[in-house]
Amino acid sequence: MSDTTLNAVGSPRTATNTLLNEDWLAVFLGLFIFVLALAALVHVDLIGWAVTTSVWGNFGQALKATSKDYAALGGIGALIATYVALLVVLSAGAAVLRSDVKRFALAFTAVFWIAYASWIIGNFAHFAAVTPAEQQKFGINWSLKLTNEGGYIFALIAGLIIANFLPRFGEAIKDAVRPELYIKVAIVILGGFFAVTAAGKLNLASSLILRGVAAIVEAYLIYWAVVYFIARKWFGFSREWAAPLASGISICGVSAAIAVGGAIRARPVVAVLVSSLVVIFAVVEVLILPFVAQAFLAHEPLVAGAWMGLAVKTDGAAVAAGGITESLILAKNAAEGVHYQPGWILGTAATIKVFIDIFIGIWAFVLGYIWTNHINVTDADDKAKLREIWERFPKFIIGFVITFFVGLYLALGTPADIAKNVPAAIGEANTFRVIFFILTFFSIGVLSNFKTLWQEGFGRLAAVYVVSLFGFVVWVGLLISWLFFSGITPPLAS
Amino acid sequence: MAESYTRSDLREELRRAPVEPLLPIEKKLIAWSLSIGLVLLVGLALLNHYVPATF
Repeated sequence: MSDTTLNAVGSPRTATNTLLNEDWLAVFLGLFIFVLALAALVHVDLIGWAVTTSVWGNFGQALKATSKDYAALGGIGALIATYVALLVVLSAGAAVLRSDVKRFALAFTAVFWIAYASWIIGNFAHFAAVTPAEQQKFGINWSLKLTNEGGYIFALIAGLIIANFLPRFGEAIKDAVRPELYIKVAIVILGGFFAVTAAGKLNLASSLILRGVAAIVEAYLIYWAVVYFIARKWFGFSREWAAPLASGISICGVSAAIAVGGAIRARPVVAVLVSSLVVIFAVVEVLILPFVAQAFLAHEPLVAGAWMGLAVKTDGAAVAAGGITESLILAKNAAEGVHYQPGWILGTAATIKVFIDIFIGIWAFVLGYIWTNHINVTDADDKAKLREIWERFPKFIIGFVITFFVGLYLALGTPADIAKNVPAAIGEANTFRVIFFILTFFSIGVLSNFKTLWQEGFGRLAAVYVVSLFGFVVWVGLLISWLFFSGITPPLAS
Repeated sequence: MAESYTRSDLREELRRAPVEPLLPIEKKLIAWSLSIGLVLLVGLALLNHYVPATF
């Protein structure tokens, strides 16, 4: 097996010579798409050409432009327009991050087309059709009933195939394999979508947000302490490894491992390796938990959403698992004649995750303070400082909050003739949210080389993860989700 | 200066790393964290029970 070099300064978060970091770039890209979509409020349709995919029996039914204003483009035209627009905007983003723009553009071309092709395949009626009525519509007598969002799983599997069977190709496209960037853009857009969903049921939405506090208590105070203890006492890991590992497993995957690794002055390579494990296990969770939720929590939809936010690590996997869970549970209920309003399960998963993210900086500071003052006592210059809380704050959350409150204002605070257009306008932005989800899933797959788990020496790291995640985190997350969200159901679709 | 590590370096390090016993400050961190977490969780559960979600 070839021996990979892990460069200690190669972490995306450690670059200091860029105009913007990835978090801020995600905020700007997400807000850019959101603002373009809002032009539809004054009857200027700027992004209606974005491609959307429907469940299909004949390929001709698969693709179309989001808005009827751009119907003349046809499905393939809309797909090409979407590719070109994303290529231009994301290449500009790559330039801002001081990446090699040409390499990024070539890599993104491969990432986009493979990921979107996987999504289209996932929307094939034999995979996606759910109800007997749908099967009849497509003239089929069986389907896997994965729903159209099962297309995310296809994108993930395509990425996994590349990571595990075509590693050289995976290496060649790595410049555009950026799951953290893609999911952050998606979450910024999601804020507006969630606002429109919440506008009709503000009391319920505020109840859900208040219950998000329980998630913070669980992730930081309970999960972290237990996982850190397991890693140190049972598996004998040093403090430098145990703290980022506990943060990755218990809080929020990659972001937390990197933030805490930096705060306790661990070598960057520790966080990089822990992050790669986090991604691999997030893939395992995404492939299992939404289907478990559909089987056992179909009548407790918000418990299922909260569970995804608490149990699945990394923002991308958690929010996307919320999307798949929503789709699977809505379909199962629809088959029983109960039609819930979409958006609530995904919104619950995302809210829980965002609440957890908000406190990463504070938790990293607390640990940094303890480490630099009591464990590895450092010079005064290198001690943890309050400003690190802001430096480690995930800035994309600012974008989520902005789009949420702007969306809420537009839906509730504007004259009726404007307010009635808000769902359609934000729906156009939501088309891009779906596309960024697809790119996220594919990218997570490409980063998930399962050989890591079999490498001698790293098995112990993986063992801590397995014991903590499947022996504790998943089940305590389920218990707490049940405690706080059982009996609360989404509104019925009108 | 850029440091670089190979996977075999790290494997070796993980295998040979001496056991670091839990320091009193770590025990305190774990105990306080768990205690505050459980107390807050019980408080929130009670709050959730007496102030149920409004539809």
